[in-house]
Amino acid sequence: MAKLIVNSLLRRRWQTLATLLGVGFGAGLLLAVFLLYNGFGQGLERGRQRLGADLLVVPGNATVDPDKALFAGSPLNVYMDGKYADQARKIPGVRRVESQFFTQSLKLECCSLGTESRLIGIEDRVAHRLAGMSPDGREKLEPDEVIIGSELLGGIGKPGALIELLGDIFRLAYRLEPTGTALDHSILMRMDSARDLAAKSEALKPVWQEAGNPHRLISALLIEVDDTSRLQEIGRALEDLGSLKVIRAADTFERLKRLMNAFVFMLAAAGALTALGGVAYLLGHFSSAAWDRKGEWALYRALGATKLRMMQLVVGEAVALATSGAVAGLPLGYGFYRLAFSRLAAQNAFPFVAPGGALLVTAATGTLAVYGLIGFLSAAAPAWRVAQLEPALTMAQGDID
Amino acid sequence: MNAPPQILLEAENVSRSYGTEMILDNVSLQVRAGEVTTIAGPSGSGKTTLLALLALLLEPSSGQIRVAGRDAATLSDTERSHLRNTFYGFIFQTAQLVGSLSVLDNVLLPALLAGKSREKRAVAGELLDRLGLGARADFLPHQLSLGQKRRAALARALLLRPAVILADEPTNDLDARRAAQVADFLLGLPADGYALVLVTHDVQLAERAGNCWRIDGGKLMPPVNVPQACLSQHADFVLQMIHHKRL
Repeated sequence: MAKLIVNSLLRRRWQTLATLLGVGFGAGLLLAVFLLYNGFGQGLERGRQRLGADLLVVPGNATVDPDKALFAGSPLNVYMDGKYADQARKIPGVRRVESQFFTQSLKLECCSLGTESRLIGIEDRVAHRLAGMSPDGREKLEPDEVIIGSELLGGIGKPGALIELLGDIFRLAYRLEPTGTALDHSILMRMDSARDLAAKSEALKPVWQEAGNPHRLISALLIEVDDTSRLQEIGRALEDLGSLKVIRAADTFERLKRLMNAFVFMLAAAGALTALGGVAYLLGHFSSAAWDRKGEWALYRALGATKLRMMQLVVGEAVALATSGAVAGLPLGYGFYRLAFSRLAAQNAFPFVAPGGALLVTAATGTLAVYGLIGFLSAAAPAWRVAQLEPALTMAQGDID
Repeated sequence: MNAPPQILLEAENVSRSYGTEMILDNVSLQVRAGEVTTIAGPSGSGKTTLLALLALLLEPSSGQIRVAGRDAATLSDTERSHLRNTFYGFIFQTAQLVGSLSVLDNVLLPALLAGKSREKRAVAGELLDRLGLGARADFLPHQLSLGQKRRAALARALLLRPAVILADEPTNDLDARRAAQVADFLLGLPADGYALVLVTHDVQLAERAGNCWRIDGGKLMPPVNVPQACLSQHADFVLQMIHHKRL
């Protein structure tokens, strides 16, 4: 039977090629849509997990895009007095305050980073939140330890590896899971270590000099409140402390989520339409084949093919065509996804987690399964009609092309 | 005294109509192993319909077809398909080779449909050799002459060693020499135990085959054992054919 199917596809090579291309484009688009959808969904979820705060407070003079600061993890080389952390803790309704200190490495020569990277000083107790992203659930960070983003150091960034940063040697505690944000390209260390590095570096001096002694400075405050219905009130109290800018995570999260939902809806609609288009195309293809090829199929019936065998032949051809097209579409879809991903990553506009190998395999297998099903469904009705063909038709026909 | 040859096919009071038009009217016929059954008649007389009924390609409007003693009306589609695959060998009016399959694969088609092409490959090769097509096994049908195509169709009909060969106008469109070659081969089959049902309007072939039943207006006349008598009985038909060819 396989021989008859393959032969039939090869015999109509232009028709087959056109169908393969049509199905291939559809399957590629479906795969790309799924990968983008998944990457966005995971990126948003990780951004939300990573933040773990209701309010983000930055210096009033900071030009900051709330989306990027909150979800794309984009840090800022801006500073404010560390006293604001203590003052914020005293505001009624504030449950937890965490401060961060942002600086950067310089281009280094040896053993570590080839480019400048963002350094983020975090409080000891912040490490526990990041622990959820660490492979071994570590909560405490030693003064000489750093955590690196998933995109840094490649294969050499194993736990225990030594890294030189602004002349000091640090030990790699662990690598963060991918977040799809600027955090993937950042280095996290204890806040006092980050401050020491900034203070010692003549090159970085101009960045913090105007704000004062780095040991007293912070870049951002992450604030968690007891009752989220009081966010507005607490936000106003924070702004009253000084020249501070308060970003409400919930608002930004909701806005971004709505935007993402709209985007995902478009992607899902495109995927669904693509799949439906595939069904319509193959249904048309096999419906017309049931008529055009009735001579050939009636001959098979006359020579002893059962109705079931005829249905297997027609459905088998459809499934072979659909899955072959889908196989051809997989690299196309992956290429399209990579292109879209690189464009989005360059903009850092959305948190996006690139899918791992297992998910890629699952997505590819799923696409093949979907198109196998599409092939089956689109050929089921024509196959039924073919099975009902009168074999006596073959007595009255000419040669078969 | 030898026992009479086994009855392989039997039509008993079979009629077939399309709408109000009666194509076959109360036809009875027996086909025995090792014998030729020739059915002759003018175009539209119902001979191809009778062949289709005997081949289980059509169902009668009334009457009974028995295949090796079994009432065909009681057979399931799977059983009928199995019989068409193994019990019958078909030679249609045109060769009906599948254009994209090689000659060898066309011969193997019944085996391909039954899922046993591998074991029948050697048999197919031998048949093609016997029919003088061994060197053309890998050709496509469009690379063959009409006579070669007809011989390939013959090989296909014999592949699974069926009990009954049903041949519908097997010498149609062939020149005299090619027609004689095909006829020689076909008429030699009963000696090997095959039952041959031959539908033809080829006077020479009918004359050679003998056991000639006449069909006209859907009615089947009993066989005449003397070929010449068969032909004389067909005189009106022969005249019609001559007239038709002149047109």
